[in-house]
Amino acid sequence: MAIECLVLGAGQEVGKSCAVVTINGKRIMFDCGMHMGYLDHRRFPDFSLISKSADFNTAIDCIVITHFHLDHVGALPYFTEVCGYSGPIYMTYPTKALSPLMLEDYRKVMVDRRGEQELFSNDDIMKCMKKVIAVDLKQTVQVDKDLQIRAYYAGHVLGAAMFYAKVGDAAMVYTGDYNMTPDRHLGAAQIDRLQLDLLITESTYATTVRDSKYAREREFLKAVHKCVADGGKVLIPTFALGRAQELCILLDNYWERMNLKVPIYFSAGLTIQANMYYKMLISWTNQRVKETYATHNAFDFKNVRSFDRSLINAPGPCVLFATPGMISGGFSLEVFKLWAPSEMNLVTLPGYCLAGTIGHKLTTGKPTKIDLDKDIQISVRCQIHQLSFSPHTDAKGIMDLVKFLSPKHVILVHGEKPKMASLKGKIESDLGIQCYYPANNDTVCIPSTCWLKADTSKTFIRSSLNPNFKFVKTISEDKSNLVSKETEATSVLQVHDERVAEGILIVEKSKKAKVVHQNELLLMIGKDKHDVQFAYCCPVQIGNLERTKGMDFALSKNVVSTSDECSWLHLLFAKLATKLGGNIQDFGQHLQVDSIHISVCLKDICPYRTTDGPQKEPAVFFCCTWSVADVNLAWEIISIMENLDLSII
Amino acid sequence: MEQHLGSVCECILSLSTNDKRLNLRALASARSLIINSSTSDSTISALFETLTRFLQLTTEPRALHHTLKLLSDIAFHHSRLSGLVFHSVRSYLLRSDSTRLSAESLAVLSSIAEHDRSLASAMDELDDRFFVSLCFGPSVSVRSWFLSNAFRFPIRPYVLLTVMLGFTKDPYPYVRRVALDGLVGLSKSSVIEDCGVIEGCYCRAVELLGDAEDSVRCAAVHAVSEWGKMLVASVQEMNKRYWSDAVFVRLCSMVRDMSMEVRVAAFDALGKIGVVSEDILLQTLSKRVLGITKEKKPLGQCSAKRKSLGQYIPKHFDIQACVAAGAFVHGLEDEFYEVRWSACHSLHTLTILSAKFAGEALNLLMDVLNDDSLNVRLRALETMHHMATCDHLKVQETHMHMFLGTLVDNSTFIRSTARKILRLMKLHDLKMFQSSIDGLLENLEVYPQDEADILSVLFDIGRNHGNFVVCIIKKFSQEIEPSCEGRLDFDSVRVAALLVLAISAPLSEAQKVCSIPSRIFSYAVTLLGRISHALKDVMNQNTLLAYLSHCSKSTIVDNSESFFPMIEGDIPNCSCIDMISPAGMSLQQGASENENQKRLEPRKSATPLLDCQLEVHSEVAKSIKLILLKINDIWFLVQKGCMAEVLRMLRSFREELATYMSDSLVSADTLAFTFQYLRVVKLLAKVWEHFLPPRKTQSYRIGELNLLLGKLDRNLKEMRYRFRGLSKEEELHVLELILVTCILRLSKVEICCHNATLKKLSMIISHAEFLHKEGSIEPYNFVVELKKSLGEIDTYNDGASCRPFLLKRLLESFSLKQFRLSGSPKHIKAEIDLPGNDTEPLPFISGLPVGIPLEITLYNVSSENRLWLRMIVHEQLMEFVFLDLNQSGGCDEVRKFTFMAPFYRTPKAMSLTLRVCIGMECLFEDVNLITDCGGPTRELVYICQEKEVYLGMIPW
Repeated sequence: MAIECLVLGAGQEVGKSCAVVTINGKRIMFDCGMHMGYLDHRRFPDFSLISKSADFNTAIDCIVITHFHLDHVGALPYFTEVCGYSGPIYMTYPTKALSPLMLEDYRKVMVDRRGEQELFSNDDIMKCMKKVIAVDLKQTVQVDKDLQIRAYYAGHVLGAAMFYAKVGDAAMVYTGDYNMTPDRHLGAAQIDRLQLDLLITESTYATTVRDSKYAREREFLKAVHKCVADGGKVLIPTFALGRAQELCILLDNYWERMNLKVPIYFSAGLTIQANMYYKMLISWTNQRVKETYATHNAFDFKNVRSFDRSLINAPGPCVLFATPGMISGGFSLEVFKLWAPSEMNLVTLPGYCLAGTIGHKLTTGKPTKIDLDKDIQISVRCQIHQLSFSPHTDAKGIMDLVKFLSPKHVILVHGEKPKMASLKGKIESDLGIQCYYPANNDTVCIPSTCWLKADTSKTFIRSSLNPNFKFVKTISEDKSNLVSKETEATSVLQVHDERVAEGILIVEKSKKAKVVHQNELLLMIGKDKHDVQFAYCCPVQIGNLERTKGMDFALSKNVVSTSDECSWLHLLFAKLATKLGGNIQDFGQHLQVDSIHISVCLKDICPYRTTDGPQKEPAVFFCCTWSVADVNLAWEIISIMENLDLSII
Repeated sequence: MEQHLGSVCECILSLSTNDKRLNLRALASARSLIINSSTSDSTISALFETLTRFLQLTTEPRALHHTLKLLSDIAFHHSRLSGLVFHSVRSYLLRSDSTRLSAESLAVLSSIAEHDRSLASAMDELDDRFFVSLCFGPSVSVRSWFLSNAFRFPIRPYVLLTVMLGFTKDPYPYVRRVALDGLVGLSKSSVIEDCGVIEGCYCRAVELLGDAEDSVRCAAVHAVSEWGKMLVASVQEMNKRYWSDAVFVRLCSMVRDMSMEVRVAAFDALGKIGVVSEDILLQTLSKRVLGITKEKKPLGQCSAKRKSLGQYIPKHFDIQACVAAGAFVHGLEDEFYEVRWSACHSLHTLTILSAKFAGEALNLLMDVLNDDSLNVRLRALETMHHMATCDHLKVQETHMHMFLGTLVDNSTFIRSTARKILRLMKLHDLKMFQSSIDGLLENLEVYPQDEADILSVLFDIGRNHGNFVVCIIKKFSQEIEPSCEGRLDFDSVRVAALLVLAISAPLSEAQKVCSIPSRIFSYAVTLLGRISHALKDVMNQNTLLAYLSHCSKSTIVDNSESFFPMIEGDIPNCSCIDMISPAGMSLQQGASENENQKRLEPRKSATPLLDCQLEVHSEVAKSIKLILLKINDIWFLVQKGCMAEVLRMLRSFREELATYMSDSLVSADTLAFTFQYLRVVKLLAKVWEHFLPPRKTQSYRIGELNLLLGKLDRNLKEMRYRFRGLSKEEELHVLELILVTCILRLSKVEICCHNATLKKLSMIISHAEFLHKEGSIEPYNFVVELKKSLGEIDTYNDGASCRPFLLKRLLESFSLKQFRLSGSPKHIKAEIDLPGNDTEPLPFISGLPVGIPLEITLYNVSSENRLWLRMIVHEQLMEFVFLDLNQSGGCDEVRKFTFMAPFYRTPKAMSLTLRVCIGMECLFEDVNLITDCGGPTRELVYICQEKEVYLGMIPW
């Protein structure tokens, strides 16, 4: 069995996320986004690769959408309504609530403003959304009898989720976009330690390691505070969702703590709808917001009031949040025109502004004048503050997640090719996990886990219940070591509990596999027990007889007589005891170390004797036998014996 | 009841013959007989006989379970039988073949043995093999029970170690967790010294850091931390650094775990590591792998020695660095405040290790001051304060905005901690100094209640930065000087603050020749009261005056004749040099006319007048002192159990004190306090008796202990709240007694209302801690112990069985200290009178409200106290009326006024007695009383005798 991952979008690029994964025969489409950079056919994923006959309902078992951004959900109405997919679609509740707003907004911009041909209508969006099944965090959804999916919190934006999918024994996680550090209003991604074959993760910031955002927050607060303390006005152009709430919580808290009384305004368009969603979807925010929710909803901003147009020219300091984010028009432009000429005022801009917007002009260079159009020119004397909060995880966060989940394979998507290559190298070298970053329309095949179900016998279960551990002092390869990836020999006291491993797997023809206890095996197959014994007849030199004075040995050639058998044995015992310590025991007729049994060999021709050539030195032969368990020890002893000279006392 | 005995016994016995069904009713009545304290001894003995016989006869597990339970009940309620029960259960245990029942009987045995020391030796006779065999059975619950209770049994540590270590391999996560906990426990016993074993345990714990189960990983973090410490201690000196680094890095690898508990545990553990390389420490503050570390050699130079340990040297340091990278960055921006707090806390200890690290960590900590959680902000400030005391606090210009922001924080704690840091901070340039002063002045403006502390901080800062003061005062001199109309603007706090700053300059080491205009010192004299109140920790009023008058003549102060000792560390220096010259005295008389001076607290050293007064009552004081000294000795007797003797002595003290009753006002308050203390000691002694090993003839009525504890609680509460002006030591003494009472309460399973007591416990501890810090008083041994084990007590709050041991140990660490009464506490009390009511009842109409004209006298009640009038007819008919002191007039010492108390719900009766009493809300008790009549929200302590008011119906 294998897992096949066909990347239709976001392969070595950012945009139109779409990955179709086949796990043990089940096919799931993760995300169905559109590329905002293209206007031609490249805008959508190439769905024809999924099924040549365009019969998507049989080709795909379900679609999973991670969050409401258009590069993750944008192509969904097209795929369902135009391409005709009608199977199940899963997304979280907030995503289901917010996606139609985003889609409709986009459609309007495309059709109304730019006058393009519409790809899907408002009707399509509504119909498409009707097919969506909303899921909750950590809710396990049984899509069909083999396939189950589960959503985990991903941070990033309201309602963003990572999805776990499992078919039979093969399991994988698709992260979508996520954030490993918490915001002021969203939490950090959170997932269980799962056994995974595959992890598909975003890699927007594959090589960036970001510093603590506290410093940026501090700079922002300092700038705002300084401006209002000097009686200036602060304009914060933002988008309705996410950034506005983030900054507003930050400011509201600061105001509260510092006892500031300067008014903070929200331009009317923002407050009502966006904050309503946040207030309703409290369970998707971060820990602090959730904790204080009982006493105070963090989105009921204490110091925030709604803005009235007449206040634009009112004297005194204030802070104003206004849409749209990059001062591309609308209310924020209107206010900017009036406030920009005063050097007391401050405009804070997001880290990234699209080229062509006023925001972009302000952040690149320090213009003193901006031409709005042919006739109107704004003189800009106000202060500009740039502030970037990215809701994506950084390289360290990706590594942390991969390390925590420790999947067997990783596929990187949603990033830039050279950076992905560098991250792939890091994952492979540091964590030892196989990593891929396929291009669009490429397929990656990885092997998947397959467990075989087996019956068990009662004795086996009983034996597994009773602890049966032993301690071994081993010279082992320390693989668990994370400080040093190189495996180096360490001698460590280790614990083994073999109770489960002690069973024996029996696979009989046309029967289900079964695990039995080792004692049962013989009974089951009706055979006797065989022990494998090793034997070796080992010569031990006795050197020059003359030198062994005081010992009256009657030697015929090189074989010892019976009467001397015991004395040779004793001699050997004495020698071995000094080398082996107290392990060896003398039983009169033989010596014993564990299962190794050593006795004097009196036969002329012993089948276990290998030295066929004529003996140069006189030697006594000792027959050694042992069982499998002591192979190493036995050979060790034999090598000692072969190098012994019994005559030297 | 007892008549049924025969049938009960019969029923129980019939169980043995008829095994099929349990007669639960019979068992229930047997139990009620056992726990009823009035059941006769013979009945109990008969029951015991029956149960013992039954134990021998039956084999049915369920019946046996109940029998064991009943037998343990007998042992606990009738201590004379506990020995017999012990032996019969023991003989059963030895032949039982069911693991589960063996475990149960073992539980019974050990709890009996813990109560009765004499039986402990009988426990010792059971050998290790027997104990250990219990957990090798198939029953998982018994296994985990045994492992978590293993320390209660006499098992040799090495056997225990083997068992614990073995079971870390168990397939059941719960067992693994308990086994790891057991290993942690063993590490503390310090009997294991073998290097190989320690290494084995450590490595096993390290393996389990990767467990799939959160709780196991959490326990593994603890184990790695503890055994890592042992490992570091066991290796040779030259390898220590290497190993502690290794342990540190291991723990760092857990700070990015997905489970919050694991992260908290990891940070806690990080803070406990005593030695870490600076490279690694610095790496924890940066998420990027630092370049410099790569070039360095592997840690230490002792590779050969390490090989002998069978160990290896990490070839690439950057792998270690990679693991440690940004641990604290992540910790301080964690989603959970618990983790952030814990990260701040462990920085607390780690910043001592390296000045460079402390400097880098400060950058992060400054940002934490912007955290949403008050606890975390406070913790960060405390960490900075700690850094300042170790001289590792290097504040830079860029930090100042964030840091000074805390001076206008909403929370008093934050502000005061920030000021504490400011006191110790070294400011490098004038700009920073200027901004700090501005910050403090802004603080003063926004929160005028902080005045005293701010002035004192200004004084300290000024002393440390004399040069800057001179520069600044020049700037501000416009504000200080009288304006052109000749009006001095001295009532402004701002001017007071600047004056304090100015007068501090001559004391600065850097400023030998002070160029502060001498007239400024004369201006300061006019604010003498205000300033000396603020600087009372540094000098008394007389010294200050002498200093100011000296400086107003010439501003050269020779440091050799130093007026005041320089502040060292955090401890406000209280030793004042009395420099009372005759001129100073006369000036002081003049200054005392100043209104502000009234606010000054009488201080022993500063006001000879008070000494004088005290002399009058020296006799009383002496005898009180003597009695307090003797009480200290009594404790020994209490512990011995000589109760009669103790009570007799206490009685004699009381009688002795009673002879002074007629003395004047001041001593009356002190007397009242001493009486109260005597009462508390008596009750404590009586309670303590219940916790001593039982004697043969003793028998207690059930509920007696509960009653005593209730009384003790009440009396302690009165001691705590009804006396004003207790010094910190005195208050701490009272708090310690309250803590003991809590522990006593927790120790008795049948009494304790667990959660409430635990809550109280932690509240008192934190309050005590606050006082310790405030007053820089060495905490009592008992409080320290308690604080340490508070977490443990908490975790076992599901009534599990490790607690008794712990609590017992705690109680053993307590001993009554000598109470040193330094000042004279003011007794808060009240009197209610209704003249003429004894002879003539007050008229009322049933169903209509009635006004009761009460003459109330309040002593020592300040207007901050919230008083309530309680009126009770019976338990169900109770009303509270709030006493508004602002309308009453009079001063704090004595207020006398008539109050028309309305009573609304007059019942249908011809006549009734209303019991009236005045209660005061306890500031620190946070228990919400559920009253339907809009009464007090906190617990009340009653400050007067209950007065009975008679009411008679007006006949229609």
